[in-house]
Amino acid sequence: MDMIWLGLIVGSFVSIGAYTVLIGDNPISKITEHLYTGILAGYTLAINWDFVMKNAVGKVQGGQFDFIIPIILSLMLFTRLKPEWIWISRYPVALTVGVGMGLAMRASVLSDFVGQIQGTLLPINNINNIVMIIGTITAASYFLFTTKYSGPYKYVNQSGLLFLLVAFGVTYGSTASFRFELVIGRLVDMLRPDVAMYTYGFLVLVAIILIYGYTTKRIPWYKGR
Amino acid sequence: MSIIKKILDMDQRIIYLGMFIALAYPILSPVILPVAIQDYSTQAFNFAVSIPDGSYVLIEGGNAAATHPQCGPGLTANIYHLLTKQCKLVFFSITAEPAYWTQVEIDNALAKLPATVAAKNGVNWVNLGYISGGESGVAALAADIRSVVSKDHFGKPINDLPMMKDINSAKNFAAAFWWGGSEGSIPYGIRQLVGPYNLPMSGSCTTNEVPNYSPYVSSGQLKGLFGGIRGSAEYELLLKVPGPALAQAMATNIGGLYFLGLVLLGNILYLTQRLRGEK
Amino acid sequence: MSNRLAKISLPIWLTTIFGILMIIEFFFSMPKIVTDTNTLLRSWVTIVSAAALILGTLILTIAHVKRAYERKTGWYYSLIYIGSFVVAGALGLISVRETNFMWIFNNMTSPIGAALYSLTAFTITSAAFRVFRARNWKATVMLVTGFIVLMMLLPVGAAIFPPIVPIGEWIRSFPSSAGFRGMIIGISLGTIGLGVRIFLGRQKEHLGIREEKKEAS
Repeated sequence: MDMIWLGLIVGSFVSIGAYTVLIGDNPISKITEHLYTGILAGYTLAINWDFVMKNAVGKVQGGQFDFIIPIILSLMLFTRLKPEWIWISRYPVALTVGVGMGLAMRASVLSDFVGQIQGTLLPINNINNIVMIIGTITAASYFLFTTKYSGPYKYVNQSGLLFLLVAFGVTYGSTASFRFELVIGRLVDMLRPDVAMYTYGFLVLVAIILIYGYTTKRIPWYKGR
Repeated sequence: MSIIKKILDMDQRIIYLGMFIALAYPILSPVILPVAIQDYSTQAFNFAVSIPDGSYVLIEGGNAAATHPQCGPGLTANIYHLLTKQCKLVFFSITAEPAYWTQVEIDNALAKLPATVAAKNGVNWVNLGYISGGESGVAALAADIRSVVSKDHFGKPINDLPMMKDINSAKNFAAAFWWGGSEGSIPYGIRQLVGPYNLPMSGSCTTNEVPNYSPYVSSGQLKGLFGGIRGSAEYELLLKVPGPALAQAMATNIGGLYFLGLVLLGNILYLTQRLRGEK
Repeated sequence: MSNRLAKISLPIWLTTIFGILMIIEFFFSMPKIVTDTNTLLRSWVTIVSAAALILGTLILTIAHVKRAYERKTGWYYSLIYIGSFVVAGALGLISVRETNFMWIFNNMTSPIGAALYSLTAFTITSAAFRVFRARNWKATVMLVTGFIVLMMLLPVGAAIFPPIVPIGEWIRSFPSSAGFRGMIIGISLGTIGLGVRIFLGRQKEHLGIREEKKEAS
């Protein structure tokens, strides 16, 4: 049996199981959710273990003994499992947060702050540049200055709000499109010609199970709006 | 209860069923329409074309299972494009699941390549695999690759890979592509690659994230951006290498119109209620 | 005193020192020992982050084991979690490229994950029908721009009304981009402010330290 084709059929079945949550919580959707979480947790464990083995233990075995320190720090992290020892885990957290925050701050200043301001320093010679300059200044003001606004500043504030609303509207339209693409991505595999009959079969099977469950009251029916 | 209120309060499962049919029907019965290439995609494509042949290119693969169908074809097209330019590609992923899907997309591109194009692992491309640490991991990789990674995705020591002989930091690359999927990680690349190392970068993300990164495109920090399935379809069209993205992009039509129709209907009914003085 | 030093003060000091080391290397020319130390620290962070993810999976597993052991509501679902975690984890620990492990991940986790992630397509449609109303000028602006951009993104949008593409692209590239740019500037200032608070020891929540009330101390 072709394992790829078998995989598509199994994928189709578990996807239908996941989609049944749209009808309301039911045992089939719960089983698929827990199956998903379990396998993903196992995958996360395995791949991160592999990373630590390759890049810490492997390096110590290769003679780079300074990598014993991150191994010790990693073990210290596991003290979080015992409430009395949680303070020991603060050391690896201090390393991670300190380094991470330092990297984020230094790069943010250059790229997000200076870079974006530089991008706003445009010649005022066409409508696009004017929109960009006014929009950036007013939106940043709206974002940063949270005191009660009155007088001429009211117009700056409202203008900033307008630009932010346009940004949110654009995001909303884009997000809607993104969500459809997610479903289509799944349906393309489920409705392939060599898999489609199995998909329809699983749909019928799941429908029979759920109808039986609901009519015999083994599964509570949800009065969805 | 008035008819308007009944429609507005209808069971949401009816809406779900309608959406399901609207999205499934064009997959079973596809209709291909002309696609207008977006400006961001043109910029990103031109950036890829402008990379000198034979250069080293750093690629972040961030497509997970959910975003692989939309952005995966675009990454496949990108890999195909760069390998046909004899570029040397170094891949990495900052989250665990995309590390697997990046290799899938590499394999898909290799399968499409003509036999005359060199594409040997270790010589023309290297997959460093999963790098932990998020933005800190990117910063560490950019400063010193060997401080973070000792073996590639397949377990081979990177010092044994011919391509990696003189490559150890972001300074050794001519360009970067960040295929971030829905990770929201393109700013990591901008902050840790573009800012400190002036490494020109383009990339891709899901459709919903494109507006978030448009300031980076307009400030020149990002050289164009492929967005979602539409971006992947546009890359395939610009490259003139057919792939699965175009049909999937077409499949959004009916679902999108259904969504817009419902929004309009909801607003028309709401306004009618207001005019009638109903609550 | 030494209790407080080891449990609270020293971690705060270390956070500050590591952070400042990262920052000064970027803005000033530093001796080799500083840059080498920073390279080492960054590589250590990747190891500790990977260990943190391993810890996360273990904590989740322990929660499910407790639920199954104590027979709490839905405990049998926890057995499914535990079973799939043990099988996937064991196969993955043998080798992350082990065939069965990759088959399970590719054909079970990935489709379920994609399906769960895509559920929002349905809920967003239902929510848009019920809630997205042009009640005032603010909602109308959002509604109109969202409508235009979605029409632009649909291939059929250009067929129905060709000018929608340049209009939508202009809205996305200029007014929307300006709005996001203002947000990015605000967020970067917030990041800097947060970093300063953490380095000054004013914010300790990342270490799990809560400020105690004066009466309790």
